Amino acid sequence: MRIGIDVGGTHTDAVLLDGDAVISSVKALTSADVTTGILEALEHLLSDSGINESAVEAVMLGTTQFTNAVVERRQLSKVAAIRIGLPSGEGLPPMLGWPADISESLGNHVYSIHGGTLYDGQELAKLEQKEVEGVIGDIKSKGIDTVAIAAAFSPMNPQPELEVARQLDAAIPGLNITCSHRIGRLSLLERENAALLNASLLKFANRVVDSFGSALRQRKLNCRYFISQNDGTLMDAEFVRRFPALTFASGPTNSLRGACRLTGLNEAIVVDIGGTTSDIGILQDGFPRESNIIIEVGGVRTNFRMPDLLTLGLGGGSMVSEDGTRIGPQSVGHRLVKEGLVFGGSTLTATDLLVAAGKVDIGDRQKVKDLDSQVITNGLKTIQKMLNEGIERMMPSSDPLPVVLVGGGAILVSENLDAASEMHIPEHSGVANAIGAAIAQIGGEVERLVSYRETPRKEAIRKISEEATQRAIKAGADAETIRIADIEETTISYMPDGSTRVRVKAVGDIAPEESER
Amino acid sequence: MKLGSDSLADLSLGAVFLATGGGGDPYVAYLVAQKALETYGPVELIAPQDLDDDAFIVTVGGVGAPTASLELLPSLDEAVNTVKEFEKRFDRKVDAVVSFEIGGGNSLIPIVAAAGLGIPVVDGDGMGRALPEAQMMTYPISGVSPTPAVGLDYKGNAREFHSSDIFEFEREIREFALKSGGMVTSAEHSMTGKQLKAAIMPGTVSFSIELGRVLRMNRGNAHRIFEPLSNLFADSIYGDIFHLYTGKVIDCSSKIIGGFDIGEASIASFDGSVEPLTLTIKNEFLVARVGDEVIASVPDLITVLDYETSTPINAERLRYGQRVTVYGIGCPSFYRSDHALKFVAPRCFGFDFDYQPIETLASRAVPSNKKSMEGARAESPKIVPQENSQ
Repeated sequence: MRIGIDVGGTHTDAVLLDGDAVISSVKALTSADVTTGILEALEHLLSDSGINESAVEAVMLGTTQFTNAVVERRQLSKVAAIRIGLPSGEGLPPMLGWPADISESLGNHVYSIHGGTLYDGQELAKLEQKEVEGVIGDIKSKGIDTVAIAAAFSPMNPQPELEVARQLDAAIPGLNITCSHRIGRLSLLERENAALLNASLLKFANRVVDSFGSALRQRKLNCRYFISQNDGTLMDAEFVRRFPALTFASGPTNSLRGACRLTGLNEAIVVDIGGTTSDIGILQDGFPRESNIIIEVGGVRTNFRMPDLLTLGLGGGSMVSEDGTRIGPQSVGHRLVKEGLVFGGSTLTATDLLVAAGKVDIGDRQKVKDLDSQVITNGLKTIQKMLNEGIERMMPSSDPLPVVLVGGGAILVSENLDAASEMHIPEHSGVANAIGAAIAQIGGEVERLVSYRETPRKEAIRKISEEATQRAIKAGADAETIRIADIEETTISYMPDGSTRVRVKAVGDIAPEESER
Repeated sequence: MKLGSDSLADLSLGAVFLATGGGGDPYVAYLVAQKALETYGPVELIAPQDLDDDAFIVTVGGVGAPTASLELLPSLDEAVNTVKEFEKRFDRKVDAVVSFEIGGGNSLIPIVAAAGLGIPVVDGDGMGRALPEAQMMTYPISGVSPTPAVGLDYKGNAREFHSSDIFEFEREIREFALKSGGMVTSAEHSMTGKQLKAAIMPGTVSFSIELGRVLRMNRGNAHRIFEPLSNLFADSIYGDIFHLYTGKVIDCSSKIIGGFDIGEASIASFDGSVEPLTLTIKNEFLVARVGDEVIASVPDLITVLDYETSTPINAERLRYGQRVTVYGIGCPSFYRSDHALKFVAPRCFGFDFDYQPIETLASRAVPSNKKSMEGARAESPKIVPQENSQ
């Protein structure tokens, strides 16, 4: 059996799964210290089901704590940024263009040194030992204990980053280091930013992992535990200590994965309706379609792997205009249970419309009996229209796809959506995110820029797939179950014919506990 | 007029609009320009007519594969050093610099050079938009020789070019770029003030700043922005702006052939009452058709805006389901001469028809522009503003 937990801003959802069957589920409030909320959820799960702790094989956690730390600039460590790319980029130091409050949180310790690689694999410049030593000396004298390293074209050739990391580690034992080639894709500035954000979270990650581990042990769950990342795969605790930033956006990803499991659909549009917003995402081959654009996290440009989401300002608590033709983006959010009309409040919300129309039975229906029927009709139409238009914007082609509704706000959809080929509101859809966490697999991803002229396409893809497979095994996947989940090829414009960016993702089930890594 | 770092965000936004779907993401160039203006102070933006006839001007910008510069970042002094190298090698003092094209990141590079050299940047460019090839610039079309020219790589290695043939020069400098990390900075097409006045798209830098400002100040749907845009374009070297279409992208295909993004996108009206619009893309949006009828074509500008936010959309970001408005804008008169059309007409891009000005085509396809606006407005749905979670 497995337990999935999703820690959101408001709710901590948890499920206990036996294979595909949901044995027990619970929605608890997220506590300020997070742990109390998790313990509360676990208590409900285990006592409701009467399952013995020893029957639980693994616990999977999805959490927004790291995203929120960046957005709110809390818990961030001071980080030294080392870029290896001179003489290119001279005068453009790391963290240029960052919002001032977050670059200050990280301390503005930036270094640029010679080295790195060119697009064709040639050396950009030689590493200069004196420069490296100078940087090490400075970091040492300042007492900085966390470093992010980014070199030009390091996803193709990580050697310069690894060499500087090796020297740092030897000179300053116990230093926390993030190398950019392990965390981001091509595009130096965004990958460097990703490495910096990750490094700034390393110490917090240790605290989160420790407190999560101790919460589980406190509840006598002595099994393994994992944390879910933004591409719908899992990291083990040791991996999270090194790559906490890979949890960014894991919440929506878990919803999508949960919807996949609950319906058995691998190709679908998933609409996760909450109190304030609706997130629309696409399942492709059972995994979220990823965004290919620059994504800002807390105002910092990054190129993390993130699900492609369209967020509409429509949720259960969305405020409705007087005539019902406009809904949201303002919302009463979690105050819905106080401020909504059916709960005795004075704000007309989307939920009130559904109750008034007799579509759902929540709160006190009498409180909306005098609502103008035209307002109700307009309002319901507006909801359908907003969702239909959102879905149409996300559809990969004009062929309609099934639509899966998940999240607490799914009640807003009172009739079939025109943009859907069919509609699904699966049982347990309210905790789809926790289910998504519980079923997650282990993945490994590799990106390379290759020339098909030099390495034939088949051979290049085979090599990169093998690397991705090895990476997945290293992350804890069972070699027997690994499959290549995605191969993405992008031809590079204005380059000699055959220059292609190839990205391969391998996924597999969690390796049995005794297996060696 | 002084150009300071506070104008750069607007200039970049305007440059994306004028890039007509091409030109790439100007973010890195924006960072360099920002840093240059903060370091060296604002630059003088000089109108072409204020240049002395015997002033000496060079064009400066990046040449190569934009993908390479995602990793091989430009340096703050690269553009400056390119011009200095030009001055040293050809023993000419450069009085001002000017850009290749206003569309995309290359609109910002001459500003970086001007800031570092303490010389003015000319308010104008060689395209008034973005186009993929060097011979399409106004400078060679006007008979300005591309050489003597200097290319500078990221290490500061310079190379001279002396071919007077624009095609040969283009091939040589691209070869140099590919051997030097994929991207180099070029100082080329030098000319006198007198030559420049006859060879430039004038005022496009200040226009792009103003355009960016109008887009920023009038955030809202693409119909609301039409009037301010229309007023702006009416008083410019461009002609009128025409509303070509509003609707939803129903099909979008693209592939890269010979280094160019080639593709087609179809856009259908929201209520299906009007035949879909088809856009042909080759890095930029080049041709707009309704049915078989061409309603706008290169060198006139075709630009696609996100319907709800009026943000210009890059061709590679165009996707199924997006709700967009397509505007067509008359190109500057320079490109409409018989001579210039030999380099920028639809046939130069492989299309099998002659150029007809947008004001002729649009009025034929859409009986009255004003009426089409009203029609489109009536069918446009009310869109509730969206919260962007990212």
